[in-house]
Amino acid sequence: MTTAPVTNPQPRGAQRPRTIRFRIERCDGPGKPARWEAFDVPVEPGANVISCLQWIAANPVTIEGKRTTPVVWDSGCLEEVCGACTMRVNGRVRQSCTALIENLLAAGVTEVTLQPMSKFPVVRDLFVDRQRFFNDLKRAKAWVPIDGTYNLGAGPREKPADQAERYVLSTCMTCGCCLDACPQYKKEEDAKEWDQSFVGAAVISQVRLFNEHPTGAALKPERLDFMASIGGVSDCGNAQNCVKVCPKEIPLTESIAAIGRAVSIHRIKQFFGVRD
Amino acid sequence: MTSASAPPKGNFLDRNHYLLRRLHSLTGVVPIGVFLIVHLVTNSSVVWGLLAHGDKGHAGVETFQHEVNFIHSLPALLLIEVFGLWLPIAFHSVLGVYYAMTARPNNKDYPYQDNWRYTLQRISGYVGVLFIFYHVATLRWGWTFLVPGGTQWTAEHAASTLAMALRGHETDVTLAGLMVAAFYMAGVSLLVFHLANGLWTAAITWGVTVSAAAQRRWGHVCLLIGAGLMLAAWSAVIGFMTLDPAEARQVELRMLAPESAPGTDP
Amino acid sequence: MAASKNQRVIVVGGGLAGLAATVRIAESGIPVDLFSIVPVKRSHSVCAQGGINACNEVARQQGYSEHEHFDESIYGGDFLAHQPPVYEMAHWAPQIIDLLDRMGVPFNRTQEGYRDLRLFGGSLYKRTHFAGATTGQQLIYALDEQTRRWEAEGMVAKYEHWEFLWPVVSDDGVCRGIVAQDLRTMQVRAFRADAVIMATGGNGLVFGKSTNSVVCTGAAAARCYQAGARYANGEFIQVHPTAIPGADKLRLMSESARGEGGRVWVPAVKGADGKWGKHPDPSRDPRQVPENERYYFLEERYPKYGNIVPRDIATREIFNICMEGLGVFGGNMVYLDLTHLGREYLERKLLGIIEIYRKFVGEDPADVPMRIFPGVHYTMGGLWTTYTPKPDLKGMVPGAPNSMMCSIPGLYAFGEVNYQYHGANRLGANALLSCIFDGLFCGRGVVNHVKNASRAAADEPQSIYDGVVKQEEARVKRLAESKGAENPYHIGRELGEEMTAASTVVKSGPRLEQAMSKLAELRERYARIGVDDPSGWTNQNLAHARAVGDMLAMADVILRGGLERRESRGSHYRTDFPERDDARFLKTTVAEWDGASKSAKISFEPVETGLVQPRARTYGKVEGEAGKKPAAQPVSV
Repeated sequence: MTTAPVTNPQPRGAQRPRTIRFRIERCDGPGKPARWEAFDVPVEPGANVISCLQWIAANPVTIEGKRTTPVVWDSGCLEEVCGACTMRVNGRVRQSCTALIENLLAAGVTEVTLQPMSKFPVVRDLFVDRQRFFNDLKRAKAWVPIDGTYNLGAGPREKPADQAERYVLSTCMTCGCCLDACPQYKKEEDAKEWDQSFVGAAVISQVRLFNEHPTGAALKPERLDFMASIGGVSDCGNAQNCVKVCPKEIPLTESIAAIGRAVSIHRIKQFFGVRD
Repeated sequence: MTSASAPPKGNFLDRNHYLLRRLHSLTGVVPIGVFLIVHLVTNSSVVWGLLAHGDKGHAGVETFQHEVNFIHSLPALLLIEVFGLWLPIAFHSVLGVYYAMTARPNNKDYPYQDNWRYTLQRISGYVGVLFIFYHVATLRWGWTFLVPGGTQWTAEHAASTLAMALRGHETDVTLAGLMVAAFYMAGVSLLVFHLANGLWTAAITWGVTVSAAAQRRWGHVCLLIGAGLMLAAWSAVIGFMTLDPAEARQVELRMLAPESAPGTDP
Repeated sequence: MAASKNQRVIVVGGGLAGLAATVRIAESGIPVDLFSIVPVKRSHSVCAQGGINACNEVARQQGYSEHEHFDESIYGGDFLAHQPPVYEMAHWAPQIIDLLDRMGVPFNRTQEGYRDLRLFGGSLYKRTHFAGATTGQQLIYALDEQTRRWEAEGMVAKYEHWEFLWPVVSDDGVCRGIVAQDLRTMQVRAFRADAVIMATGGNGLVFGKSTNSVVCTGAAAARCYQAGARYANGEFIQVHPTAIPGADKLRLMSESARGEGGRVWVPAVKGADGKWGKHPDPSRDPRQVPENERYYFLEERYPKYGNIVPRDIATREIFNICMEGLGVFGGNMVYLDLTHLGREYLERKLLGIIEIYRKFVGEDPADVPMRIFPGVHYTMGGLWTTYTPKPDLKGMVPGAPNSMMCSIPGLYAFGEVNYQYHGANRLGANALLSCIFDGLFCGRGVVNHVKNASRAAADEPQSIYDGVVKQEEARVKRLAESKGAENPYHIGRELGEEMTAASTVVKSGPRLEQAMSKLAELRERYARIGVDDPSGWTNQNLAHARAVGDMLAMADVILRGGLERRESRGSHYRTDFPERDDARFLKTTVAEWDGASKSAKISFEPVETGLVQPRARTYGKVEGEAGKKPAAQPVSV
């Protein structure tokens, strides 16, 4: 006895076989020129940008009939929870796994352009290096300074409303959409510039997350000093693109305001010599 | 496991980054924002004075001249101007341009209203700096070579000389005058936007409005403030541009005469 | 003896198990080199949704206990798991929750501020702690943060976007390092270590589409196996009952949906004989189907557990319903219905999965029942490991250096890649627990192994490292230059389709034999592949082609194990041997790589069952006539 193929007769949407044209900005490596290649990809029901990229990887032939190298891209869970597959789809940064072709077509596009994220150095094709983002989490001391992993009993009790607020901040998957869409966030090819450049909404929001935890608050003064330094919260320009492109709908602009307020109070207290 | 935060390093700007950012924000509201409101209310008196006192004897011109006279009667006006106005404006402008140069607008891909205001805030800043420079240079420092018709603005003839500067000619509006008037219209409009939007962002920057709902509510208030100032700004520019300089001059001369007092008019 | 300056531990894999081990070992003063094919924060652990099990005070006062948790896990695993490690894990669970709580995991809370609990498969007690419906994500973020803290202290060096290629084994047979490749620069190099922990997860991609992340090829485990490590219980693959099919993968709909009250049904009509038959209009809008035409088959067949029977059982029931033609639209789908629970409740408790369904299917589960079908989900089998039981078998000796050590000394397997704990079927919300338990409990054993070592990796001759580097560089070169006609992507896809068809929910001797010949064909074709990308920079084409070779080796283990195990147990169901056979097969399947035949040699070894005697595993199934009683209401809190 065999398992029937796992397919889903989707009741929605047309199932007519058709192809869609992908235009992909490619680059062979750092310092190499960018170029565009186009592919016609047959679209199966439920297809997303990832399944189309998988098809291209197996059939790397451009519309001119030229055999090329498979397109390189970054991906992981394909459920919009790991953040890996972030790229610019038709100009706008997002996860490519949730970019369903059906929805793109419904939005009126006739072809799909894929480009790497604009604020991170390209490693190859659509694959970028987001190391700076993780490094900024280190600078932000985005952790709870526990005594160790030995058994010391439960953590502090917490009101459900406080948990709800922390939970949504804690769903940030370090994808970088908020940074890519931010007109204040600058692409830094040179790691030496990282600590001079705006850190962006996600890191500010993580500072808020850990400052709100009773144990995490032990590092609040250091985090706020970081936020007050060059590249910190005051470099925000309030364009508020971050909150609109965040796939997890994290209230990033609220975090920015909350940290702005906290830093103001922190600095005033420092001025008057009051312990924070 | 945690180390004390390192002492601030880098140049003066970097070491005092946060303080300068906040002073930049603060100076935009006080004194510059407050001054702009007073200034626009004063200038628009050429219109609201008319509304308040009727059109007999150019009450608008009279009211405006009263306001100007009051300002010029303040003790140590130059000190107030330099420290309360010119230096803050210079500080706000220089830092503002420096900060604005770090912007990389992306309105094509992210055409949200907030994002357009972000970009416009910076454009209005650049244009505003040029406008304020022209405005002060021509009317305050007497760079009459930049004024069509070469009129020298004087505090004694506040309305008539201003009208001349915006018209380029006593009895006619010249093309150059029209361009100056248009520049004024654009300049003050952008500055009003810059202030209203700046009040909105300052509330976020300082953490006054934290929740998205609060930011939205304060946004409505800022919109109202902006609309009111815009009305004042436009009525002032249009009011002076359409003023008859000769008639205004007569009114001012009457006010200058020592025996001139209300009620003694012929 | 204090750790010498040169001692280091390598952790391969940055999921929950790898990070828990990293934190534990770094904390003990031994530096860790952490290798991961993806930035560790993006590891597959983020996909875990429902929660993490542990006895808690509320459940305890209702009659639950750590021992009950242990017993449930053994029963759920159909008695195939070694009992001392499971016993230890169940007793450690409460302190693991406490630790995660201290790390700041935003567990859902009760109104009084205590950790909230939910019901999960295979238990009648609420003993699952959760953070929305993205518990795995929240747990790994907490461990990722602690790891970053140690990284900032200089105790952890991360090698992200590096792929493990091969273990380095000294002349005394002890593992003392690895060879890995930077997937950006494509540099191959060796790393010395006094212990190597594999925490590389499962092998869902062997089945093509699964609920796993794209990196879950099982290649790292397959390489250790081909390097001589034994592999155990390969045929035990968990097929999750509720997934949503997609063009690129299957997306999990957490068991918590049922734990929170979700009901599984199909439209059907009940005949005069009490038997359910096909609905005349199976594609009718589910909201229009009257209550008496809804067949809640799990509730009827398992009145005691209802919708929260263990996964292997739910999966087979759903599969059979569809094979009987009762599926929704007459196809391979059943309804998972949450509409009666209310939008506010769903968004508070299950937002993560509700969002996934909304985004990928375009419908709102609060309005319309979800359409789901089983999908390959978890690898119960894995690298064979050993442990030191306590004399009374109640747990493991803490700090024993062989805790979860592979058959190659110095090489460890933690988390999903370890075959322990879950037997023939894993209970929901036990995976996160076993991963963190391995890292914390067995991490101490690794520290002791390193401290007690008589030889240091730093003193080993360079030649043993260079030798493996040469071997792997040659393999890279061979692949890069391969210009055959066969497409590795097509081979990978055909492998997945064949494995899903032959070796998932329902297996049989003849079908497995057929799959073996297909596998032989694929392996023959694999020898003639061509790689399109000749680049020496970030060559994913090459890395994929290499992994396909390892997946073929893993498929061989899975199929041969399935063929040799002539019984049905847990997730392994054979139509030709439908009964459990404890006399012959209450044993671990052990696969050893045979270099000559390039395939697995299968043997069986006994399982330690000294604490709980095997008993019939029915979950109170009502045979024949449908049950009359409604599903027992679980104990409420």
